[in-house]
Amino acid sequence: MLVVSLNSEKKINQELENSVLVSLDSVKKTYEDGKISVRALRGIDLKIAEGEFTTVYGPSGSGKTTLLNLIGALDKPSEGQVKINGSIINELDRNGLALLRRDNIGFVFQSYNLIPVLTAYENVEFALKISSSNNGNPVRNSKERSAQILEQVGLGDMLDRRPNELSGGQKQRVAIARALVKEPRLVLADEPTANLDSQTSKEVLEIMLEMNSKLKTTFIFSTHDPMVMEYAGRLLEIRDGKITREERR
Amino acid sequence: MYLSKIALRNLFRRSGRTLIIAGVLAFAIFFAIILETFMAGMMEMSFSNIIDFDSAHLQIARPELFADNEDPLDHLFTPTEEVLTEIEKLPGFVATTPVLDFSANMLAGREEYPVRVRAAAPASFKEVFRYQDYLIEGDFLQAGDSGLVIGMNLAEILDLQVGDFYTLLFREEGGSLNTIQGEILGIAATPEPGMNLGTVIIDQSFAASALGVSSSEINQLKVKMTDRHSAVARSESLEKQLTGSLAKDFQVNSWRDVSDMLVAMEVWGQLETYFIVALILLVGAIGIINVVVLSSLERVEEIGMMKAMGLSEKQIVKIFSIEASGLGVIGGLIGAGLGAVGTYLLVNIGFDLQLLYGDITLELGIPILGTIYGVWKPQSFIIFFTLAVTVALISSLIPSYWAARKDPVDAIYHR
Repeated sequence: MLVVSLNSEKKINQELENSVLVSLDSVKKTYEDGKISVRALRGIDLKIAEGEFTTVYGPSGSGKTTLLNLIGALDKPSEGQVKINGSIINELDRNGLALLRRDNIGFVFQSYNLIPVLTAYENVEFALKISSSNNGNPVRNSKERSAQILEQVGLGDMLDRRPNELSGGQKQRVAIARALVKEPRLVLADEPTANLDSQTSKEVLEIMLEMNSKLKTTFIFSTHDPMVMEYAGRLLEIRDGKITREERR
Repeated sequence: MYLSKIALRNLFRRSGRTLIIAGVLAFAIFFAIILETFMAGMMEMSFSNIIDFDSAHLQIARPELFADNEDPLDHLFTPTEEVLTEIEKLPGFVATTPVLDFSANMLAGREEYPVRVRAAAPASFKEVFRYQDYLIEGDFLQAGDSGLVIGMNLAEILDLQVGDFYTLLFREEGGSLNTIQGEILGIAATPEPGMNLGTVIIDQSFAASALGVSSSEINQLKVKMTDRHSAVARSESLEKQLTGSLAKDFQVNSWRDVSDMLVAMEVWGQLETYFIVALILLVGAIGIINVVVLSSLERVEEIGMMKAMGLSEKQIVKIFSIEASGLGVIGGLIGAGLGAVGTYLLVNIGFDLQLLYGDITLELGIPILGTIYGVWKPQSFIIFFTLAVTVALISSLIPSYWAARKDPVDAIYHR
């Protein structure tokens, strides 16, 4: 019986190894703030497979956002190695990191970070156009795709509204549509429900869960919100820069 | 496409700030255009006045006369038929007149004033110069008259009126002093202030007999042409012709050769204009740097998000540069529009320097009196507009790079 169980776990690990999208190996991150050194991450080993719906939780200052920034290729580790979709970010320069983000990663932030001078539709189409302008290959049906994804997040009738004409929940839906429109392999969401009421939070999370199951997009959240944790397929607790607990559902 | 769209919409995000900076640029362009128009008008009028009242388009004389203006009576000549024929063959030739200039002191009562006496053949003189159009009293000369036409300012200084007697005290060729006497025939108020004060006109045949020279002897031939610009080139070809095939010892000067001071003033005027414009544009450039820095600080989270989305630094620089160039275009267009209105007024209504500054033109040696009219210079609209856009673009580059190089994490979380 024990042998069967060990074999089964080995098999799962092998499968995970084959489909790993994000891998962190002994990652440490230290910030220098004047004469003070802040050790935000103190040795993280983590593998996240494609299609996972992972939530990172923990108290403020525990290192959640730093972890997401490293996985999002927004920052580089002080020590250790971060690999995203086969690329080691330690070895990439600023342009290389920008290309990696453009081609693989979508972001959703707590403060939405929409471009205020563009409409909801334009914010979404802009994300698509960036890819096409950078790699020289025009995106096909960008108008239809942008309108369609906004339809999917329930904003089909608000395409021409600017961010200041939208509620917090609507803005976050636009941010999700913007992150998903280029069909990235990975979406990182840093406290996406922090500014939303519980009903809107639920709607936003369900949209993301639906995208996860439809498109097999990998989602990684950081949150304090217990509701977000309920939706997660995998929970990672982080404290003082270390993963202290892991749970799969 | 989207980068331009974002840049242009951002331009109107803080419309007050945009208008202030565009206003500074507009003022620079407006000022530059008006100054150029005014200077060009002033130069145009100055050159016209010199041509119409002093030098004509071409002047032909012995080379020594141009080198030594002290004793013009030492450099007399009699123009031959072949010389006159050669002059008349010039393309664009209108008329020629002989002139005998010499120095004298004009005496009236107890007053004495040094003048240049211009002995002229009245009939042909009228075809080359425009004195007769500006007579305010009396008549112009007739052949054989002993009378004198003087300028308005000289008449005021010596308190002379038409009909009054004058005496011209001069030194003959041999060095002895002699006088010419007669009546004031006419008083002219020309737009060339120098001619109103320092030059008197007398009949050539009368002057010749008084000077003891032949009536055919002169020291200059003045030539009127159809166009002043081509006259400069004609002066060279005529001089080659006279000194070459005719083997005559003549020098041909154009109006431009006698306007050295004005040509220098024109150059200095342009330099001055560019210097002032550069100063104002510098203020505009500082404003633009300020705008780009403020905008990037205000939009730091947007910049962070754009970088997270994979926008390259070059693309972010492009957004800010298009925005700054837009400021230049708005400022340039407003400035050019105001400049066009100002130029229209200057061209049609003019600007009376004398009314504001008295005899400033006389004091500065500028040969203009009264209202100065502007001249349309379409190229200055293009040059200054381009300059405004270029300055806006260049001054935005460094702050744009500064904005684009922000760390994405610091930018997103506004650290």
